[in-house]
Amino acid sequence: MVSREVTLHFDTSAVKVASRFDSIRKWLLIGVALLFLGLFILVPLLAVFSEALKKGVQLYFAALIEPNAWAAIKLTLVTAAVAVPINTIFGVIAAWAIAKFNFEGKNFMLTLIDIPFAVSPVIAGLVFVLLFGSQGMLGPFLAEHNIKIIFAVPGIVLATIFVTFPFVVRELIPIMQDQGTDEEQAAITLGANGWQTFFRVTLPNIKWGLLYGVILCNARAMGEFGAVSVVSGHIRGLTNTIPLHVEILYNEYNFTAAFAVASLLALLALATLVIKSMVEWKTQKH
Amino acid sequence: MGISICDVSKAFSSFPAVKNVELEIPTGDFVALLGPSGSGKTTLLRMIAGLESLDSGKILFNGLDYTNKTVKERKVGFVFQHYALFRHMTIFENVAFGLKVRPRRNRPSKREIKEKVHELLRLVQLEHLVDRYPSQLSGGQRQRIALARALAVEPEVLLLDEPFGALDAKVRQELRHWLREIHQKLNITTVFVTHDQEEALEMADTIVVMNKGMVEQIGSPEEVYHHPANAFVYSFLGRVNEITGKALSETTLRVTDLEKGTVGYIRPHEIVLKKTSEGLGMLVEVVHIHSVGSTVRMQLKRRDTDDLYEAELTIETYKELGAVSKGDLLHAEFNNIVVFENEPGTSHSLQEQTKFTAAFN
Amino acid sequence: MAAKQKSRRVLPGFGLSMGYTVVYLSLIILIPLAALLLKATTLNFGQTWNTVTEPRVVASYKLTLFTSLVAAIVNAVFGTLIAWVLVRYQFWGKRVIDALVDLPFALPTAVAGIALTTIYAPNGWIGQYFEAMGVKVAYTQYGIIIALTFIGLPFVVRSVQPVLQDLDQQYEEAASTLGAGSGQIFFKVIFPAIFPAVLTGFALAFARALGEYGSVVFISGNMPMKTEIVPLLIITKLEQYNYGGAAAIAVVMLGFSFILLFLINFWQWRTAKKHQVT
Repeated sequence: MVSREVTLHFDTSAVKVASRFDSIRKWLLIGVALLFLGLFILVPLLAVFSEALKKGVQLYFAALIEPNAWAAIKLTLVTAAVAVPINTIFGVIAAWAIAKFNFEGKNFMLTLIDIPFAVSPVIAGLVFVLLFGSQGMLGPFLAEHNIKIIFAVPGIVLATIFVTFPFVVRELIPIMQDQGTDEEQAAITLGANGWQTFFRVTLPNIKWGLLYGVILCNARAMGEFGAVSVVSGHIRGLTNTIPLHVEILYNEYNFTAAFAVASLLALLALATLVIKSMVEWKTQKH
Repeated sequence: MGISICDVSKAFSSFPAVKNVELEIPTGDFVALLGPSGSGKTTLLRMIAGLESLDSGKILFNGLDYTNKTVKERKVGFVFQHYALFRHMTIFENVAFGLKVRPRRNRPSKREIKEKVHELLRLVQLEHLVDRYPSQLSGGQRQRIALARALAVEPEVLLLDEPFGALDAKVRQELRHWLREIHQKLNITTVFVTHDQEEALEMADTIVVMNKGMVEQIGSPEEVYHHPANAFVYSFLGRVNEITGKALSETTLRVTDLEKGTVGYIRPHEIVLKKTSEGLGMLVEVVHIHSVGSTVRMQLKRRDTDDLYEAELTIETYKELGAVSKGDLLHAEFNNIVVFENEPGTSHSLQEQTKFTAAFN
Repeated sequence: MAAKQKSRRVLPGFGLSMGYTVVYLSLIILIPLAALLLKATTLNFGQTWNTVTEPRVVASYKLTLFTSLVAAIVNAVFGTLIAWVLVRYQFWGKRVIDALVDLPFALPTAVAGIALTTIYAPNGWIGQYFEAMGVKVAYTQYGIIIALTFIGLPFVVRSVQPVLQDLDQQYEEAASTLGAGSGQIFFKVIFPAIFPAVLTGFALAFARALGEYGSVVFISGNMPMKTEIVPLLIITKLEQYNYGGAAAIAVVMLGFSFILLFLINFWQWRTAKKHQVT
C-alpha cells in the first residue's frame, strides 16, 4: 500500500507498467495451469467418452448389457456393498477412539491406518494370496474345508477392504479433533448416555465429512484394479469386477467395449467429484 | 446441595494441577474459584462435575461419597467456558436436550418439555430466539442459553467455567448482575471459576483464592480483600506497590529488626501525598499523571533510590492537593504497609494467620 | 500417599472402540503384513538376495524410482503453480477446475491407464504429433512418467492450496513496502512459507507413484529390462507361483515405502514443532 502511494506521487507510468505486467503474468500463469490440467485431466476424460461412443450408441449399450459385463457390474456392486459399510463402521469407531481420547501409541496407530495408502495395491493383493492362496499359509486348511478365498469373491472383497480401509477414518479424525469434546461433555452433563451423545451430538456434526469419506471409499472400492487383479484370477462372469473386465476387453483389442465399460467408472468418478464439491460447499457455509 | 472436597489432588502426567485441596461449600452458597491461569481452579471445578478424575482424596455431595460417581449420576449443571452449545440444534433443541435424553419413563411429555423450555428462555430473557441456531447469537446470548440449558435438568449444583471470559467489558458487567439475580431467585449451590478478581469480589458470597494448585485463602470478599492471608492473595486482589530493603526499613520506623529480603506491600490508594513534609514522608518525583474517570493515577519516583511507586487518588483528594504537574516533588506517606511473615517461597497455610500489619504515624 | 485411583474417562466407549479398532487393524493390516514378512523369510538369505538383485529386478527398481521421481518433480512444479492460480486468481470456471483436480483420486487407475495409452499411442490424439517428431511416448519411459504424473497430480495441489490460502498477504505487503520486487517476494517470502507443503505433496506423490500399477501397466508396454515396473514384476512372480520371490521383492518395495512414509511423518512433525515454538 505505502509503496504504491509513493510510486503514484513520483511516477504514474511505472504503476501502469507494473499493473499491465501483473495482468500479463496472471493470465500467463492461468494459461499454463489450464494447459497442464487440460492435457492431463480433461483430455483423458474426453478420450474415454469419445472412444466409447466412437462406433455409435447402439454398440455402446450393447457392450454394457452383454452378460459378462453385467456379471462384472454386479460383482463390483456386491464388493462395494460389503467393503464400504464395513470400513465406514470401522472408520467411525476408530475415529471416536483416536480423536476423542488421549492414549499412548496414538501416532503408531495412525501410521498403521495409513499403511494401505503407502503400500502398492499389488502388495495389498499379494498379502492375501500369501495367506489364503493354495500355497499360502492357510491354503491347506482352506482346501481341506473346501473354502475358496483367492480367485473367488471373498478374496476380492478382502483386498478391497484392505485398500479402502483408511478413507473414512482419515476423513473423520481431523474433523472430530477440530470439534473437540466440549459438546460431548455438555451432553454427558445433561444426562445423555453414550449412544445418545454419539447419535445426537457427534454424528450430526460429522455427517458431511462422513459422507465425503464414504463416497471416496466407494469410488476406490468400485475402481480398485491392482489389488483385485492379483486375487481375482480373472474368471469371466465370475470373478471379474468392472475394472478387470475393462482390462480384458482392452487386451483383446475390443477398444469400444472396453471404453464403454470404462465410461461407467468415469461417470462414477465425476459423480464422486460433484458430491465432493457439494459437501465442501455445505461445510464452508456452516 | 452441599459439597465437601476432602484432600483432593490431581496431576496431569507429572504436572500437579491440584494439590491437597480442602473445601466446604454449604448449600446455596455462591462460590468463586479465583486464581491466575494454571492455578488449578478449572481442574477443581471439572472434578466436582466428574469431568476429571481424582488422583487422591474424596468429593462428597451432601455428605455422600460421590468420588466415583459418573458425570450423569451427579446431576450437576455445567456451563462451559466456550458454551459448548450444540451447533446443529436450534436454541429450543439445545435447551430441551437434557429433558429429551431422559429414559422414557422419566421423560416429560412434548408439551411439558415445550413449556419448560419457554419458561427457562423467559428466565434468561431470550424467548424470542427460540428458533435460532447458536451461530446466529452474540456471545452474551450464547452464555445465557448455555445457562438455560444447564438449568433445564434442574441441577442442585451449578458449575460455571470462566462464565464471562470471552465477553466484552460491558456485556460482562450486565451478565454479572443478571447471574447474581438468578442465583438469588433459584438459590442453587453455585461455583464459578474466574481469573478476574473484580468479578469474584462483585458476585461471590465466598471466594476461594487458588495458586499453583493450592488454596491460598477462603473467605468472604470482605475478608480476602481486607485481611489477605498472604502476599499472593494481597497482590492478586488489587494493584499493589512492593517496598523492599532500605526503603522499607526507613519507612517502618518502629520495626527495625526486619529480616533481610522482607517485602512490604501497599495499595496505591493508601499512599498519602502532601506538598509539604509532615514528619515521615519521603521525597518523590512525579513521573506521570493520568486520570481514569473518577480516579487519578500517578507514577512516582523516589528521589534517592529511583524506586517507582504507583499512587491512586480520588479526583477530590487530587484537587485538594492543588496543582501538580510532571517533575514536581511531593512528600509521600506510606500508611498501612503490610508485611507477611515467611515470605517468599514458603507455602502458606490457612490455619495460622501469620500476617501482621504495621501501621505507622 | 494414597493409591492412585482408577483413572476414569469422561466420554464413554473408549474401551469398546479401542478394542474394536485394535482387533480390526490386526485382522486387516497387521496379520496380512506379518504373513508377507514371514513368507519372505521362507527363502534363505542367499536365495532372497539373488531374487532381489537379479538384473531384471534391479532394472525395474531403477525404472520405478526414476520415473516416480521425475513425475513427482513435475507435479511439485506444476502442482504449486496450479495451487497458486486457484488461490490467488479469479477467473471463470475456477470452481469446476478446482473440482477436476481431484479426478485422479476418483478415476479408477485402469480407466486412466487405457485413456492415456489411447491418447499417447502413435496414432492417438496427442501421440501422433510426438510420432511426427520421432518421439515415442506410449510403451516407453515417457508414457510411464505421464501416467505417474496423472495419478500424483492432486497431492501437491491439495497440500499447497490450504497453506497458500492461510498465508497472510500482509507479509507480501510488508515485503513490498520494504522495497522487494515481485520475484524477491516470491522466493524470499512466499516460497519458504509453502515449501514444507510442497515437499509433503512431493513425497506423497512420489510414494503413490512407487506403488502404482493400474495406470502404468497399459501404457508401459512391459518390456523386461526396459519398461517393466516393480509391481508388475511381483505379479509375474506370482503367476509363476514363485510366492517367495514375489514376497521378497514386495518386502524391498515396502521398505522403500516405509522409509518415505517415515520421512513424511518426520518432516511434518518437525514443521509442526517449529510452528509451535514461534
